[in-house]
Formats: sequence, C-alpha cells, structure tokens
Amino acid sequence: MRKLLALLLTVMMILTMAPAAMAEAADPIVVTVFRGDPGDQPTEDNKIYKLIEEEFGITFEIEFLAGDLDETLGTKFAGEDYPDLFDAGNSAEKAIQAGALIDLLPYISEEKTPNLWNHIKDLLPQLVNENGELFIIPNYGINYNAQIQNACNGPAFFIQKQVLAWAGYPQIKTLNEYFDLIEKYIAANPTNANGAAYEGFAILCEDWRHFCLINPVQHLMGRPNDGEVIINVNSGNWETETFIDKPYAKAYYAKLNEVYNKGLINPDTFVMTYDQYIAKLSSGTVLGMFDQTWDFGTATAALETAGMYENTYIALPLVYDEEYGYGVIEEHYLNGAVPNKDRGFGISVNCEYPERMIDLFENLLSDKWQKILQWGIEGEDYYVENGRMLMTEEQYKNRQDAAWKMANTALTIWESAPKKQGTQDDGNAWAHSDQAENYFNLMSDYDKEFLTAYGYKKPADFFNAPIELAPYGEAWQIDKSPIQDDYDKYLLIQDQWLPKVIMSANQAELDANWDAFVAEITPYAQIYTEFMQAEVLKLVEQATK
Amino acid sequence: MMIGASRKTAQRPLSSGKKLFRKLWAQKYLMLMSVPVLLYVMLFNYYPLWGWRYAFQNLDLSTIKKGAAWIGWGNFEWLFKEKLFWLGFRNTLAMSLINLVFGTTSSVLLAILLNEVNTRAFKRTVQTVTYLPHFLSMVIVVGMAQNMFVTDGPVNGILMKLGIVDAPVWWLGEGRYFWWLVGIINVWKEVGWNSIIYISTMASIDPTLYEAASIDGAGRFQRILNVTLPGIKSTFVVLLIMNIGHLMEAGFEIQYLLGNKQVYDFSQTLDIFVLEFGIQNNKYGRAIAAGMFKSVVGIILLFGANFVAKRLDEETLL
Repeated sequence: MRKLLALLLTVMMILTMAPAAMAEAADPIVVTVFRGDPGDQPTEDNKIYKLIEEEFGITFEIEFLAGDLDETLGTKFAGEDYPDLFDAGNSAEKAIQAGALIDLLPYISEEKTPNLWNHIKDLLPQLVNENGELFIIPNYGINYNAQIQNACNGPAFFIQKQVLAWAGYPQIKTLNEYFDLIEKYIAANPTNANGAAYEGFAILCEDWRHFCLINPVQHLMGRPNDGEVIINVNSGNWETETFIDKPYAKAYYAKLNEVYNKGLINPDTFVMTYDQYIAKLSSGTVLGMFDQTWDFGTATAALETAGMYENTYIALPLVYDEEYGYGVIEEHYLNGAVPNKDRGFGISVNCEYPERMIDLFENLLSDKWQKILQWGIEGEDYYVENGRMLMTEEQYKNRQDAAWKMANTALTIWESAPKKQGTQDDGNAWAHSDQAENYFNLMSDYDKEFLTAYGYKKPADFFNAPIELAPYGEAWQIDKSPIQDDYDKYLLIQDQWLPKVIMSANQAELDANWDAFVAEITPYAQIYTEFMQAEVLKLVEQATK
Repeated sequence: MMIGASRKTAQRPLSSGKKLFRKLWAQKYLMLMSVPVLLYVMLFNYYPLWGWRYAFQNLDLSTIKKGAAWIGWGNFEWLFKEKLFWLGFRNTLAMSLINLVFGTTSSVLLAILLNEVNTRAFKRTVQTVTYLPHFLSMVIVVGMAQNMFVTDGPVNGILMKLGIVDAPVWWLGEGRYFWWLVGIINVWKEVGWNSIIYISTMASIDPTLYEAASIDGAGRFQRILNVTLPGIKSTFVVLLIMNIGHLMEAGFEIQYLLGNKQVYDFSQTLDIFVLEFGIQNNKYGRAIAAGMFKSVVGIILLFGANFVAKRLDEETLL
C-alpha cells in the first residue's frame, strides 16, 4: 500500500513538473491573444488554424476588444493581466510604457531567425526606441521587391462614382473643381431614385476619427499624411509647423463655409457618431467627404453587397487651385510604404514561451507560410497558371465573405503578425488583393467601365506615383504621450472651433470665429510644434545614423 | 427609554462591555441577519477607500510597477487649476439640479394624477407604460433621442408644422440646449419608476381623512392640497435629502453618449473629465483625486440638506 502511494506520488510529481520543464517545440500549447480592435472569432474547425496546430502545436484563445480600448488596457495594466500575444492596437505605446511587453531583439539574430532578421534589419534604426529595444515588429508596411499600390488606402477626398459619370468623367484635380461639381450635381439631382435628399459633403468629427475635419489642409498644400504638422523636407533642416492655425488653413475652412451656406453640408455632420456616419454612407446619399479608405470599408462593402456600385467612392488627390495664391501645387497623397511602427503583436511579460512565439513568427514569415496566410491553399483558394497566382470568381467571392473568412483564413493572427508585402521573387504579389489580374478582372463591371472611361486600370491611376518616404516616416506616428494633456486640448480646441468657423453666417462672423480660434489654440500649437520639431529631428538622426 | 436605562444602571451596575455583550446576545439573530449587509458595505464602500492613498501619488503607467511616489497635494493642485475640471463641476451640478427639480416634480405630479384616477385598469396601464422606459439601456434611449432630435427629425418637423419655429433647431449641436435635453430624457425614462414610491405612500394615507375632508366641503384640489400632499411630505423630504447627497452624480452614460465636441462646454461632467484626463491618459492619481473631491462635496451637500431640513423642523434622515 505504501509503495503504491509512493508510486502515485512520483507519477503525480512528474506530471505536474512536465509542463514546467516545457521544451520540446511540438508540445501542444494554448496561446492567449488580445487584439485591440473588435472582431469575430474564427470557427472551431478553421482550416488554416488547424494547419498551424498540426505544424507548431499551437492553438489560440483570442480576445477581441469590446468597448473602449484605453479603458480595457487600463484594467489590463492595473491587474498585470496580459495575454501571451498582445496587440494593444492604437495605444500600443501604453503597453510598452507599462512594461507589459518584452524586448524582442535578444531573440532575433541572423543565425537563429533569418526570416525575421531579414525582415527588419534595414529598418532597425527607425524601429528601436532610445534604449535600443524593439517591442513590436510592425504588422504592416514592410515591402519586398516592388511596392504595389492599386488603390489609395489612406487619406483623400472621395466622391461618388455616379457624380463623375454624370459629368462625363472629368478630371477633378482641385478643391474648387470638386465642390463646383458636387454643387452642380445636387442642383440637377436633389434626391436619389427613392426620393432621399443628397448631402453634398460629410465631415466625420467623432473622437479620434476627427482627422476628417482637421487633416485635409496638408494634402491640399501638396504633402502626404504627417498628422497635424507640415514638415519642410527640402531644406535639410526639417522645419516643422502646425498648419491648422495658419492662413492657408483658413482658406479651406472658408471654402467649407461657402459650401455650408449653399446648403451642401448638413449641420448634423458635426455631431454624428461613427455608426451614424457609416449608416449614412451606406445609404448612398452622401456625395463626397474627406476620409481615409480603410475608415469606411464597411460602408463600401454594404454598398457593393446591395449592388449600388454607382454610389461607391473614388479617391481624388485634390490640391488648392492656383487662385488661392499658393502657386501650382503638385499633389503628394501617396507616400512610400511606412513601417507601421509599434503596431502589431508584442509578446507579453506573462508569456511562458517567448521562444516558441518568436519561432512561430519566424516560420510564419517563410515563403511557404506567407502564401498560406495570404493566398490560402493552392487548388482550393487559388490556382497557378503560367507562374501567375490567380483566383476564380468564386474563390474571389469567398474572400469577400465574412463567414467564409472566419472558417478558412487565419486573419486574426495574420493581421497583427509580421508579414511580407509587395512583390514575391517570382513577380506575383504577396497579397492576393494586390495581384494585378485579380485586381482588375475581379472588379465589378461598373468599376471596370468607370476606370476604362478614364483610360485607367486601377483607382491609384488618379494619383501621382508614391513619393519616397521621408526619413522620419510619417509624423502622425510620433507618440504624443509626453505632452498628452496639452495635445488633448490642442485637438479639443480644433474640434470645438472648426465647425463654428464652417457654420459662420457671413464673412465677418467667419473672420471673428477664426481669430478667436487662432487666439485660443496658439499657446497649445506652440507646445505641440516644439515637441514635434524635436521628435522629427530625433527620428531623422536615428534613421540616417 | 432614557429613564428605563438609567434606572437599570442604578439598580445593577454592570461594566459597559458586559452590557453590550448581553444586548448583542439578546439580538443574536438580528446580528446574524445584518452580517451580509455589513460585509457588503465593508467590501464595496469602505475597502475601496484604501485606494484614496493614490490621490497623493503620481500613479501612472510608468510608475504602476515600480510603485508610485508620494507627491502631496499635487494631483489636487492640478485639478483645481484646470479650467475643464471646473467646467465639469458646473455641468455636473447644473444637470443634477435640473434632474432633481424636474425628476421630483414630474414624479410627484404623476403620482397625484394617478391617485385621483378611479378606473383601476387605466391606472395600471398608465403606470406600466410610464415605468417601462426605466428598464431600457441608456444606449438605446440616447439612440432614440438622437433620431428624434436631428435637424430633419420628427421634433423639428412637429415644431415647424405648429409654427413654433420657422427653421429647424440644431438641438444636438447647440450647447445651450444640452442640459435641458438631458433633463427631458431623464424625466421620460424615470418618471414612472420614481413615482412608484409616492403612489404607494399615497395608498397608505388613511381614507377616512379624505372622507372627513369631503364632508367638510373640500373639493378635489383642496383634498390634494390638504390631505395628499401632507401625507407624502415625510417621504418627499427623505428622498430629497438622499438625492441632494447624490447631486455630484449627474449620470455618466447619457452625457457620454449624447454629448459631442460641439456641446462639450455643457456636456462634459466630472465623470467624463476623470475618464478623459485621468483614466484614458493613465493618470490614475488624478482620477482618484477627482473622485475624492466628488465624495467630499457629496457628503457636505448631504449634511447641509439634513441640517436645513432639521431647522425647518421636518423629518430628517440622520
């Protein structure tokens, strides 16, 4: 009896110690994952996750964001309750600051992890922090071979395709041309076929999405997206200035005021929520807006599902007309690929198997796995003809189907993990959606006709080719948390005053509102400018050293 | 009571400890029954007070692990210098007062009206219809309100048809309407629920009082004035004192959901200020300092109201 007990105890001890000893790569483990944005759980029998489980012995337990990101993160930080793979979304800086993530560099080397090493070695000076640590490998923006740009994914002025078609496919290149066209269209077609009134121009102002209100001026002046500053990239001194308080910004808001007083802007646009905005766009009654393509993807999808292709939007790179007095401005909306610094998965300090995680990323970055993650399984999700990776219409349709994606792709992991973008060595695109044949052939007939009328093959043909990325990257990425209170107020003043300026009843009121706005924002603009100037110089120095 | 106690002491002197124990033993079942409540209060009302120490520390993300340093009144100084904090304070008080005045009068009024109705079925129906919105989530209520009050929505439609206004009113974007919108929505949502307690108080008024009043020649209004209202006075005062103690809680959801940057100067309450400049910016010390400030003001208001009620020789709470 005693022997039996001793044996039992020994067995139990071995059993309990086994997981602690952990070592062999194939031990099945469950990895907890947090994604800092809302999403849907993959299905139980998802085919790609099954492959991952077979090859790496890893299954995922995924938590998506429900509610407010900063609040959710706050509770996680307070309780030090971190998942193994931690994508803190747009507030990842906070996760780093809170010491939630481990430095990845000690795990990455040319010998041990050649794929990861190749992936980041050229960008390292830009990616590491002041102490030479790297917590997150960017989820997007690292290109292999040629960067592919079929459409504008970022900021632009958007207009419904039917408006351009109605006017006989004109080239719209300036702010005045844009609003003139919208005005004419509404005058001729005040309502749509169902009798719903058209709205000329919508401006989303809610929370952080207020970039639709406060960002356009830099683009009208011919600069890519640097957030809230314009940086002189030609002088060699990188002079950084806020633009919102300058006369050349007043010109834009005065134009909006003119448009508003013509009744083309609904005042409710300044108080609507993001959901209301998306609902409005999805109804097809908003003719134009300034936004970023990814910001209204759900509306585009809804319009396409409803077959309302004429109500979907085309991006236009507008600049100020010459008569504004800033000369002939060359547009530079498209920028070189920006490594999405500090966005994506980090490995948390609570993770028991950091090596396994690095090993996973290393393997997933191999050509074989990148094809599986981005294209799927050959023969099932795509086929190869003359060396080109192609998709049938059905395979393409599947890719648009949310339910299919949950069962047949590992999107949740792929989106936050390091990935290859651009072109494969054999000339195929890394992303199935980037492949030129797929892109044009699988477009709706309406879109094909629309582009053909312009003599174009892809929506990006409306734009100049991407310019070379400045050494500081894109300035909107700079972490403002050291001046957070002042930065918050700097934004708040813009949110409060710019709609007032736009809604001014006459020129005198507009001038008065603008002067009051400038007076109130100047002290904060100064703090912000000083901070950004120093940060930009720091980044340039890091990137060129 | 006093006399009895002193006589007892005179007869058989007992140590106070022993006396207490005897009393406790005699009431042992009552004591046992109060244990869960006591635990609840300890756990959720007193234990969190321990967290007040953070109000005097520079607790934020970078210090949360290493342990924050004591900074004295630093957080409070920051708060009291901040314009937005006082704006939040003003808005909180204003909306609370509006809620208190309109909420109380509307529910008393509804209770009186229902009390005067003799048809049981009608009374029941009205009561149910008016208290059902209480169970709706604020998200839904605000969503409905937004649809009602948009510039091309039904409210503007009706007002323009009636000729009260000649151009659509920008209800959701004009700061000066915000407090009243919140008041209206709160009344709509809570009037039925809040009137329940008054209705039940009225039901307990002795019917003979009404009869006597009638015989004395009192009409309907005089009966309301001289029987119903005095009958609910004590309930009214107790509820009023309690509500004054909660004046610093103007609600959070409704302002957060219905507010926007156009009405920010009127919609931003202390709770929203705490969220934006405390929790979201990970300055936890500030958030707790602001919470402390709220509690202290709340306690002062509560005792103040109680004191006034005492002076007026009314029923008091404490």
